[in-house]
Amino acid sequence: MISFGTYSLIAALFFTLLSMGLFLSGLARNNVRLVQAGKRGLLSAAIATTLASVALAWLFLTDNFSVEYVASYSDRALPLFYKITAFWAGQKGSLLFWAWVLSVFIALVIFNNRREADDRNTPYIYLVLAGTLAFFLFLLCAISSPFETLGFMPRDGQGLNPMLQNPGMVFHPPILFFGYIGFTIPFAYAVAAMITGNTGADWIRKTRVWNVLPWIFLSIGIILGGQWAYVELGWGGYWAWDPVENASFIPWLVSTAFIHTAIIQERRGVMKVWNMVLIQLTFLLCIFGTYLVRSGILQSVHDFGATGLGGYFLVFMIVALIGGIYLLAESYNEFKTPGSVESYLSRESTFLFNNVILLALAFATLLGTVFPIISEAVTGNKLTVGQPFFNQVNTPLFLLLVLLTGICPLIGWRKASVSNLRRNFLRPALTALLAGVIMAISGIRELYPLLAFTLSAFVGATIVQEYITAIRSRKKLTGEASAAAAVKLLWKMRRRYGGHIVHFGLAIMVIGIAASSAYKLESQGTLRQGESLSIGKYELKYEKFRKYDKFNRTIYAAQLGVFVDGKRIDEMEAERRYYINAKQPTTEVALRSTLIEDLYVTMPGIGRGNEITLKVAVNPLLIWVWLGSTLMVIGGILAIIPARRKAACSE
Amino acid sequence: MKKSNRKVLIAILVLLSSVGFLIYRGLAETSVYYLTVGELKTSPLGLQLGADQAVRVGGLVVDGSIDYNQRDLTLRFSIKDENNPQQTINVHYNGAKPDAFEPEIEALLEGIYDREKNLFRAETLLVKCPSKYESEQENPQEADK
Repeated sequence: MISFGTYSLIAALFFTLLSMGLFLSGLARNNVRLVQAGKRGLLSAAIATTLASVALAWLFLTDNFSVEYVASYSDRALPLFYKITAFWAGQKGSLLFWAWVLSVFIALVIFNNRREADDRNTPYIYLVLAGTLAFFLFLLCAISSPFETLGFMPRDGQGLNPMLQNPGMVFHPPILFFGYIGFTIPFAYAVAAMITGNTGADWIRKTRVWNVLPWIFLSIGIILGGQWAYVELGWGGYWAWDPVENASFIPWLVSTAFIHTAIIQERRGVMKVWNMVLIQLTFLLCIFGTYLVRSGILQSVHDFGATGLGGYFLVFMIVALIGGIYLLAESYNEFKTPGSVESYLSRESTFLFNNVILLALAFATLLGTVFPIISEAVTGNKLTVGQPFFNQVNTPLFLLLVLLTGICPLIGWRKASVSNLRRNFLRPALTALLAGVIMAISGIRELYPLLAFTLSAFVGATIVQEYITAIRSRKKLTGEASAAAAVKLLWKMRRRYGGHIVHFGLAIMVIGIAASSAYKLESQGTLRQGESLSIGKYELKYEKFRKYDKFNRTIYAAQLGVFVDGKRIDEMEAERRYYINAKQPTTEVALRSTLIEDLYVTMPGIGRGNEITLKVAVNPLLIWVWLGSTLMVIGGILAIIPARRKAACSE
Repeated sequence: MKKSNRKVLIAILVLLSSVGFLIYRGLAETSVYYLTVGELKTSPLGLQLGADQAVRVGGLVVDGSIDYNQRDLTLRFSIKDENNPQQTINVHYNGAKPDAFEPEIEALLEGIYDREKNLFRAETLLVKCPSKYESEQENPQEADK
């Protein structure tokens, strides 16, 4: 099985290089059949990487510890489920996973375009995709193969880190990877268009969809990562501005910018150059993120350490960057469009500001992330920034973005009239004002939370207003009942309402972030059985202690009664787990989540006589973060469900 | 240039300069030096740090130095310079001991250093997860590449 895996990888590399050759000669001779053959080569490469992945999974399932990678990330006691996820627990396996997903994505692109005749862009698109795949396969074959053997069969493996033995491990890494990898496709489309100068309506439509899809995956991946951190790591938060978190957030911001300006290009045929820049930037930042994680140049809780791959990623990135800049300069005249904004009171201009802010957020986050490296290079001393920097810089920018989210749908395309504006703004502005006043009266005096609540109310109100108006006019037109009109409208114009749902979710998420970060309560204490600890309106009583074995771990659990006003409303169980093969215990978070607030308990210590130490927090509205971000994903999915041929679903 | 374009351009320039200002202020107010134990104790930069100036320091936890009071959640330990293990400082941290905390692990602290007492009061304590991904001791062939 080991050599089967190795040979599959070599075969995949061979097929990929072969198809690159076919595309190149197809281009040189203007021969369509060579291009078709090249596509078949890429499909064969996808099959070969799939076989290699099956081989690695098989080695994990059969406990073949003679393979160095399997021995490092698995052991006999590991539950079956995690033996499969151990596939991507380390650097080598995740690299194979990357190549596999990319090859499958390429196969999907081929499948998706099967009915359409090739145009001038086609060979270039596949050439770029194949080139990227070849890079990863080369690393796997020559530098960092997961099939490397130890030369002997150890009795047992070293096991999987307990922190990775969490359901989060099943979905978070792969989905995040889908996002990173997916951005290769719009990048390929952009490079092809820059070479041929061909950016028709079809090009922007496809590029947009291939950009929204990875955007959705990246969003889900980031959310799942936050949730995992929240329920598993036990420090009480979901986002720490850690370099690796930032590495996923930065391309997310840039691709969000593109999703917006793509609409302008689609409607008005302008901003082509800018959009090329955004697409390339997104892809480069994805590779840069991978470089950060695998080069060991930054201190992070979840980097891979120095893997020896950093240099290769750096070279790949520089090649892509220089190539991109060159192509952009070459095609600049072709794509250049005349000054486009007709009025500063237009939806176009709000999109421009939206782009400026998104890129400013991306820039500030990137700068903060790499600041230690820059400062060391410039001054010789390492200066670092942490959470305070990111919060201080990004919070006002983010609030401005929320404000724009509210304003944008109220302003028409091209040029909005003042009376029109007054009518549209009235109700949302009053709603926001009312929300602000109520908040201020109920004791919220800090500027940022107050602004966050007010602006979110504004965004919500503009969306609701737009939706109600549209339902009314549809009822008039079709004579449908309100509910039917509401549903049909949502479905028929799903691209527009998908966008609105994303923005509505953003508003809800902002409320959750503001409330949970500004009004968090924390407490800690050490309790004997029968004693209790109070926080906010809650009282936690330490009732029982038990110890038991489960799968590959021993669990020490304290049962806590949750009391409010002397009434026992619930119970929670805080745990410490001792895994076989792990040196230290791990803390399990006990969580009681409601729409209003989360009660969050960890047990950092167990002492003599089963005396327990508890850390407790009350996080107000935290679940809103998850609800809002989930809505954002749902909206994104709704927006790219393809229209049937006849239904005109775009705006 | 059209009038409306000019207005938009001016607005964008205003926005960009405010962003620049925000970033500049953010860096000026929140950035801290990141030093090794040896640098903190002996380098010119380490010596000229103000008495209440926050600094980030990284080093290895000294074996046998860990004193954790679970009841008050106070953690005392020493860290040593990775390349120069004679250089050590004592650390005082109020908070729970992280799960992964153990001797010889790499700890990253942020806080204030009291030079006279050789005592570092840490506000934050991060440890590098040793086994999360490939660790260098376990896979020397990895580190060599």
